[in-house]
Amino acid sequence: MDIVGEYMLKGQIISGEFGRIIARQKSGQSIEIGELLIADSSDGKILMQVYDLIYGSQISQQNLEMISGMKLEENTEFELFDANLRSYMLAMMKSLVTIKDKNAFVSKALPSVFSEVKEINENDLSFLTKPRNPLFVGNLRSGSKVLDVPIYLDGEKVFSHHILIAGTTGRGKSVLVSNLLWNAIGRNYGILVLDPHDEYYGRNKIGLKDHPNKENIVYYTSRNAPIGTNTLRINLDIIKPFHFEGVIDFSDAQRQCLNIYHKEFGDKWIEAVILEKDLGIGKVFKDDTMAVVKRRLLYLLDLEFSNSQLFCNGVFQLNSGFATISDICKHLEEGRIAVIDTSNFSGAVELLIGSLIANEVFNRYKFYKMNGNLNDKPVVSIVLEEAPRVLGKEVLEAGPNIFLTIAREGRKFKVGLTAITQLPSLIPREILANMNTKIILGIEMKPERQAIIESASQDLSDDDRTIASLDIGEALITSNFAKFVTPISIPYFEDAVKKTLKGKGEIAMEFSELG
Amino acid sequence: MKFAHLADCHIGSWRDPKLRDTSTLAFSKAVDKCIKEEVDFILIAGDLFNTSFPRLDNLKAVVMKFKQLKDLSIPVYIVPGSHDYSPSGKTILDVLEEAGLFVNVFKGTVENGKLKLNFTTDKKTGAKITGILGKRGALEKAYYEKLIIDNLEKEDGYKIFLFHSGIDELKPKEMENIISQPLSLLPKGFDYYAGGHVHIVDDKQIEGYGRIAYPGPLFPNSFAELEKLERGGFYIVENENVRWEPIQIYNIAKLDVKCDHMTPDEIKNDILTHFKNKELNNTVVLIRLHGILESGKPSDIDFREIFNFLYDKSAYFVMKSSHAVTSKDFEEIKTDAGNVEDIESFLIKEHLGQIKLENLTLEKEEELIKSLMKTLSAEKQEGETVPDFDRRVREEVGRILEMEL
Repeated sequence: MDIVGEYMLKGQIISGEFGRIIARQKSGQSIEIGELLIADSSDGKILMQVYDLIYGSQISQQNLEMISGMKLEENTEFELFDANLRSYMLAMMKSLVTIKDKNAFVSKALPSVFSEVKEINENDLSFLTKPRNPLFVGNLRSGSKVLDVPIYLDGEKVFSHHILIAGTTGRGKSVLVSNLLWNAIGRNYGILVLDPHDEYYGRNKIGLKDHPNKENIVYYTSRNAPIGTNTLRINLDIIKPFHFEGVIDFSDAQRQCLNIYHKEFGDKWIEAVILEKDLGIGKVFKDDTMAVVKRRLLYLLDLEFSNSQLFCNGVFQLNSGFATISDICKHLEEGRIAVIDTSNFSGAVELLIGSLIANEVFNRYKFYKMNGNLNDKPVVSIVLEEAPRVLGKEVLEAGPNIFLTIAREGRKFKVGLTAITQLPSLIPREILANMNTKIILGIEMKPERQAIIESASQDLSDDDRTIASLDIGEALITSNFAKFVTPISIPYFEDAVKKTLKGKGEIAMEFSELG
Repeated sequence: MKFAHLADCHIGSWRDPKLRDTSTLAFSKAVDKCIKEEVDFILIAGDLFNTSFPRLDNLKAVVMKFKQLKDLSIPVYIVPGSHDYSPSGKTILDVLEEAGLFVNVFKGTVENGKLKLNFTTDKKTGAKITGILGKRGALEKAYYEKLIIDNLEKEDGYKIFLFHSGIDELKPKEMENIISQPLSLLPKGFDYYAGGHVHIVDDKQIEGYGRIAYPGPLFPNSFAELEKLERGGFYIVENENVRWEPIQIYNIAKLDVKCDHMTPDEIKNDILTHFKNKELNNTVVLIRLHGILESGKPSDIDFREIFNFLYDKSAYFVMKSSHAVTSKDFEEIKTDAGNVEDIESFLIKEHLGQIKLENLTLEKEEELIKSLMKTLSAEKQEGETVPDFDRRVREEVGRILEMEL
C-alpha cells in the first residue's frame, strides 16, 4: 500500500483539460465514481471529483482481443508487459475547489501533469465550517465511502431560498426529509409540513414526536388525535374564494359566483351558496352554474345539506376551528414545526388546507416586512410533497396560486418552499432555477436528471452519470450556499434519533398544587 | 340528576368602588338561583376569586353563601383557576375547603412521575367528579401531558371533568391569542366537561368526549366583556338538558362612535344626542370611540360634561374606551434615536409650536417642556414624607410656570 505522507496514493494525473482531468489509477487501488481526490498545485490543494471511469491499456484493442481469445479458446496464458503496467483504469475528474489555508475558492488552474492524486484526508476539509444557522444534512461522501465530516447548510438561507428534493421512489426522500425536520427542531425555523402519508410525526413508529424538544412540534390530524396533538378543524368562515386558486379549476362564471357571494355575505358566503340565499343584485347566475358550484363545494368540503340545514362531516366545520389557521401560523412564527396529517384527504382538500395556511403566513410576513419587524421572525418553509401538483406546468397554465407566488417572491419575505418530487421536469424551469438549493437523490430517468442539471446552482453538466448511479441514501447537494456540489450520505433516521436521545432522560415534575 | 356549572366568578375583580361588589352580588344571585332550582350540587370551574387572597369583605359575603349551601346539603365541587391558584398550593381555597365549604376535586397521587387523579363521588347522585386546576400562562398543560388516563376513562358511571383551560379547537376567533391546549389532552369518555377560563358561553357535544361546556363569567370582567356579553350567567344541567341561566345585575347601554372627520365638540354633541331620550336607570353605559379626529386632541373631547349628563340621567356607571382615537395634530413619528433622552428630545422638537402662547418662542417652549418633564419625573427622596414630596414638586413646577400652585 503506497502512502505519501498522511495520504493514500490513488493515481497520477496524465492529461485532460479544465473540467476534464484524466488520472491513471494506481494498481491495487480502486477509484469510484463520485470519489473525492486531492492533487497539489502551486495555488494549494485542488479538490477533485471523479465523474467517469474508463479502461486504459498499453496494448492495442486488436491485441487485447487476441489475448482474450487465447485465454478463452486455447486456455493459454499470454502476457505482454508487466501486468501492473499493461492495463489500468482512467478516472475523469473535475476540479471542485482549490484549498489554501483553510479557505476554499473556485479553481482557476489545473494541477501539473504527473501530479499525484491522493485520497482525501479529513484535515483537507477544514474549510467546511459550521455556518451561523447550522442545519445538518448528512455526512460528506467520497464515492460510496462515508467520511466523518458533517455537512451543514445555513438553514436560514437555504429554507428561505427554496429547496428542491428530487429522487426516484425508494431512494430516500422521506428519510432525508425526516432527518432535515429532526435537525431543524428547536433551531427557530418555522416549518409547515403537509404530510400526505402521515409519516413524519411518527404516530405509530419513531418520528418527530420522539425529539427531546418535542414542545417545538405541533401535529394536526383529523383522525383520532394522539394525546397532546390537535384535531384538525377549520371553520368555514375562514375560507375565501381566492383560497381555491390552484386547488380547484372553477370556470370564470363559477369563480364570479363565488366572489359575488363572498362580497355580499362576507364570512358566511359558503353557507349562503349552499342555502342558495338571494343576492341583493338579483339572480345573475344560471341555475346550472349555481348547482355546479354548490355541488363542488359540498363535495370538496365534505358538507351535507338536508332538511334546509347544513351539516359538516369532515375537517371543515361551522362551529369550531375558528383559530386553527392562526394558531398554526403562530406556531410557525415561534419557530415550531407544524405537521399536518393530510393522509385522510383528497389531494384537493390537502392543497386547500395548504393554501389557507400558506396565504395567511405569506400575508403576515409581508406585513412584518412593511412594519420593519421581519428580522425578528424566523424563516418559514412549506414542505410540499409531490410538488408538481401545485407547481406543475399544467396546473400553472390554469392560473397562479399561492405556492407559485411564494416560489417567486417568498425569499424577500423569509418564506420558502421545500418542494419534493420524483418528476422535476414537470416544474417550469423558471421555478426550478429559483430553488437555490437542490438535494438530488438517485434518478434513473434521463429527462428528470436533465431538468435538474439545467437548473442547478452549480455546473452539473458532467454529473449525469453520477446522479444516475446514486445509491439509496446517497445524494448530491447543489446550492448557492455550498462551496461545491457536495456528495452526502443520508443517515438512517432511526440512527439519528438514537444518537440524539442517547443519555437524555425525562425531567421529573412536581405536582405541588395537588389537593 | 340536576347540577349547576359556574366558572370565572372573579370575585373582587372590579376595582372601581361602584363595581367592586358586583362580582360578589352576581355570585350571591347565582347561589340563590341554584337553591331555588334545587340543584343536587354545584360545580365551579376555576377562578372563584380574582386573586389567591381576596379582600375580607368579599370573602365574608362568599363564605356566607357557601355556608347557606352547606346548611342545605348542596355540595360544591371546585378546581382552582389561573387567578386563584397558588404555586405553593396554599390559598384561601384551602382554608375554605378545610372548613368543609366545598371540595377541591384536583386530587390524586404521583406514580412514577405521572399524575393519577382520583374521583370525588357525590354522595346523593353518585356522580364521579375529578379535574385539573388552571395555572397562569396555561402551565397546567404539563399536568395533562403527565396524566394517567386509563383509570379515568375506564371508570363507570356518570363522570364529570372540571377544567380551567382554553381548547385550541373550540376557542373563538377573537380569542386566537390566548394560550390554549389541544382537545386531545382531555381524558375521553366523560359525560360532562365543565370548563372555565375562556369567557365565552358555549357548549358542544364532541365526538369521543361528551359535552364540553363553558358558561362564561358570572359577571363580565372588563369593558370589552361587558360590551360583548352584557351579562354573565351559568349552566343548569338536568339529565341531558343544558340551560344557560343569565345573571342580570345592571342594564347595559352601548355606543360605538366613529370619530373620523369629527371635531371633539361634534363627538360630544353626538353622544349627548344619542342618550338624550334614553332611560338609563340602573344602567352601565359603555362608550367606545375610534378613528382620527378632524381637529384637536382626544383630550379635547369633554368627557366630564358627557359623564355628568349621563349620571344626571341616573346611569349607574359610565365607562369609555378612547385609546383608538387619534389626532391629526399628533401623528406617528419614526425616529432612530438610540436612547430615551434622545427620543424625548426628538419628540419635543417635532411638536414644538403647537402650544399657542404669547411671548413663547420655540426655544422657550422646548426649555419649558424639558424643565417640566424633569421636575415631574422626580422621585420621592429617602426619608421624605409624601406631603413634603408633594409640596416640593408643586413649588418647583410653580417656579417653572411662574405661578403659584
